Amino acid sequence: MSAARSWDERGAWRWLRFVVLAGYAGIALVPLLWLALTSIKAATDTTSTTARFIPAAESAVSGAASHSFVPTAAGWTGLHTPLPGSPATFLDFLLSSLIIGLASTVAAVALGTVTAYGFSRFRIAGGKDWLFFILSTRFMPPLAVVAPVLLMYQQSGLTGTHLGLILLYTVFNLSLAVWLMKGFIDEIPRAFEESALVDGYTRTQAFFRIILPQARTGMAVTAVFCLIAAWNEYGFALVLGGQGAATVPVWFAGLQGNISGVPWPVVAAGAVLFVTPLVVFAVLVRNHLLRGMTFGTVKG
Amino acid sequence: MTTAAAPGGGGRSGSGGWGAAAVVAPALILLIAFNVFPLFYNLILSFTSAELGVEGWTWVGTRNYQRVFERPEYSAALRTTALFVFLAVVCELALGFVLALALHRRFAGKTALLTALLIPMMLPPAVMGLYANLLYDGDYGLLNQIISGFGVAPPQWRTDPAWKLTAVLIVDVWMWTPFMLLISLAALGSVPRHLYEAAEVDRASAWMVFRRITIPLCAPLLALAALLRTTDALKQFDIVMAITGPNDQATQTVSALLYQGLFADGKVGRGSAYACVVLVLVIALATVCTRYLDWLARRQGRGA
Amino acid sequence: MSTFSSLCRPALRCLAGIAAVAGLAAGDSKPLTIWWAQWAPADGLQQLSEDFTKSTGIAVKVHQIPWSSYQDQVFLAFGNKTTEFDIVVGDSQWIGRGATKGLYLNLTSWLPGAVDLKAQNPQVLRYLCEYPGGSGNYWAAPCESDAVGFSYRADWFADPAEKSAFKAKFNRDLAPPATWAEFKDVAVFFHRPEQKRFGCALLTGRGYDSLVMGFQQLLWAWGGSWGDPATFKVTGKLDSPQAAAALGFFKELMAFGPAGATNLDYGKSLEAFTNGSTAMAMNYFAFAPGIAKQMGDKAGFFVMPTQDGRRTISLGGQGLSISAKVPVERQEQAKKFIAWFLTEPVQRQWITKDAGFTANTAILKSEAFRKAAPYNAAFADSLDSLQDFWNVPVYNELLAAAQKRLGEALDGVKTPAAALTELAKEHQDILTDAGLAK
Repeated sequence: MSAARSWDERGAWRWLRFVVLAGYAGIALVPLLWLALTSIKAATDTTSTTARFIPAAESAVSGAASHSFVPTAAGWTGLHTPLPGSPATFLDFLLSSLIIGLASTVAAVALGTVTAYGFSRFRIAGGKDWLFFILSTRFMPPLAVVAPVLLMYQQSGLTGTHLGLILLYTVFNLSLAVWLMKGFIDEIPRAFEESALVDGYTRTQAFFRIILPQARTGMAVTAVFCLIAAWNEYGFALVLGGQGAATVPVWFAGLQGNISGVPWPVVAAGAVLFVTPLVVFAVLVRNHLLRGMTFGTVKG
Repeated sequence: MTTAAAPGGGGRSGSGGWGAAAVVAPALILLIAFNVFPLFYNLILSFTSAELGVEGWTWVGTRNYQRVFERPEYSAALRTTALFVFLAVVCELALGFVLALALHRRFAGKTALLTALLIPMMLPPAVMGLYANLLYDGDYGLLNQIISGFGVAPPQWRTDPAWKLTAVLIVDVWMWTPFMLLISLAALGSVPRHLYEAAEVDRASAWMVFRRITIPLCAPLLALAALLRTTDALKQFDIVMAITGPNDQATQTVSALLYQGLFADGKVGRGSAYACVVLVLVIALATVCTRYLDWLARRQGRGA
Repeated sequence: MSTFSSLCRPALRCLAGIAAVAGLAAGDSKPLTIWWAQWAPADGLQQLSEDFTKSTGIAVKVHQIPWSSYQDQVFLAFGNKTTEFDIVVGDSQWIGRGATKGLYLNLTSWLPGAVDLKAQNPQVLRYLCEYPGGSGNYWAAPCESDAVGFSYRADWFADPAEKSAFKAKFNRDLAPPATWAEFKDVAVFFHRPEQKRFGCALLTGRGYDSLVMGFQQLLWAWGGSWGDPATFKVTGKLDSPQAAAALGFFKELMAFGPAGATNLDYGKSLEAFTNGSTAMAMNYFAFAPGIAKQMGDKAGFFVMPTQDGRRTISLGGQGLSISAKVPVERQEQAKKFIAWFLTEPVQRQWITKDAGFTANTAILKSEAFRKAAPYNAAFADSLDSLQDFWNVPVYNELLAAAQKRLGEALDGVKTPAAALTELAKEHQDILTDAGLAK
């Protein structure tokens, strides 16, 4: 009797779980699906008052109340059409994002790895306080530094340059890079290096030949998190990027309030193209996501 | 679940001295140049008449601070931000935890589903904010078409003052619930199985088990998640800019107001004063957060 | 500037050196650069400037920046040691800030000798080029003069069935409204949301300035004002019963607009008209060529209605200002361009471009201009009624406060009178803090 009831209860719980998960997944993933659909619509189909979501051949589309639309590549080809009055297209902004994202990621991971190695393997005066200081910079609201950084950049001609944003993003990602890499390097047994040192390796050789190969996964995970942060950043890119180093988020924001209306298919195509690498990377490091989001304090 | 060793607790083998200092110095110098130096620069600016594009400035004493405390928009933006952060963190935590409870058990396709659910967390908020306008549109937006489909009069998301902040909030919740889900899963995974087995022997009700075992043991990690999200949500700027612009009474967060003051008005001195006031509040919060992370790392480090 | 920046300057200069290397090669042959917002008139200016390049050998580049960030990007650029642009087509409200903060080059001694100012519309000169207005100090030359007006559905207005139905209901002929009371009647008449037809779209956007530009025309026509331009006294003008009545009327009109009528920026108001749903839409005439192209004969244009015989219209458009932060040689080139642009033959070319609205009185008055496009007559008739918002250096704080409070009134958070009382207090406070009001 009691066994039967508990079986029923389990069944009910299972149903409830299914409903919660399916409901949430539906709500959370529909916008992404809709984004992909929007990228292959004609502009008029994106602002239709009856939602159009069934791709169809021309003949099947009937009237304003139809839910069908004829797929077109116009949104995608729009990505290499320049904005009026500016020689730049989406692809130019994408190039800017790529240069800034990749360069700042390489710099942050390299610097972060070396620094983490130092904190992991050497006794450094006030080491714990320095690590604490590094972590605390991550919590600094950008608004507290944006005015001085802008004035510094304007004085030195760094506004509107790729270098300016590369430097800034490198520094902003440093705290995460150091903390994540320290966790990974701490996990590499000290004995590996020590035996290498006994074999006559110098510290530098040991770092490059022993530590780096072992820390490869950690560096890849760290790189993904740094790249995502640099790739998605908007506020500083808007203020410091000027006309010369404007990144893709700035391009998107510029379409807001566009006097000829927002070109939704182009926006959607650009968004799909822009976020696809992020999604791929996120899938690749999915087992380390938690670690990355909590500065290495929690390992998933 | 395992956690990293406590900061500074890892290394004792290498010698200290100049070599070690040289290894860590570049990063520290950069962080000081871009974080500590600007803080002091900001403090100095806050006592001046500095304006964007204007050569030279004069000392104005505490006048900028007086204006910040006199003018109503500054406290209004703090209230708006506080409300936004509170609602965002509570909704995301509650939703994320419920989802984690549902996802906790093993089942076929769990990894694929989890990976898909985590995607929104990776996306650029500025772009998703712009895109949300397409879904929110009062005339052709998908959201209102769905709501009308249920026979309910849909709200005007972007023009009704009662809904504007909600519109921003929904995008934020959509993007960050996955983060809460992820941490909640880790928290649930950290509860030792034997406690549940013991409870079953004691014939404790499901509710009792949840209240007495699950919640208390998950609490530290959930608090960590809430703290991390709080410090992050305090910076809310991108989505507000995309949905209402920086100057809407209903959604003007601290960052949006500061953007308006610093760059649109060009009032660097007064903006800096406001940034200093906000910073004092944030530092208090951040101190709690980093201390907690530190404590957690040490406690878990001992336990592991 | 400060000991702090001088301390860090050497290090930063070193970095800047690296940054500059890439830019150097192109730097020498950099064309004369004009910044303007992203819209059709800027395309026209680019095309027109090809003639200038032919005759002088000076290349000209018109760089367009999205409207949403135009103001911020221009003033951010002014913060640099030198600006990327030589000429900026600055919004009318910016002129006080540009003039008093050392951003715009003072043209007072040069402009009157180089350009025939008597040929220009005096209202346009006053608001687009002088600061303070009427002082004879010039900081800009007229580029695109603009005014707010209405486009309307000429085909609906001409429909015999609509005409007789209107006549039966209001006992007068259906025609473009001459007064605001008539305007409301027409809006009520055409508002049929169940058929997806709406009466009117007004400028109510919460972004930069569109709500202020839309509302202030009623504010003035009803007998209120932003304040006394001589004493900067706001109270008694902006919080007057007339002002509250104007805002109350403006708010009533929201009921006859499309979904989201209380937040329509320039693009949204344009969209409401061009998607075929709205009978009358308020916008700057700069958008009229696009409307005429898209809607053809279906679109007509009319001048701002009156209240108690008063017609007041928001000034739009922009002047050409020279950056004070570029080398003298480039400033001289910029002057050459401006002088060329304002010669009459070039202005006659300018008006053939989309929204290339001249300020040249003779051209504006000519029958040829009035007949050249369906919107030209309404535009020409608008110019003598132009007025502008505050153009003092703190204009943006005033604008931001006004956008917020007026927005609250439209949203129903505050009554019109309460919103204006609070706004008047805020404006007085801002003007006093800026040292303008006593």
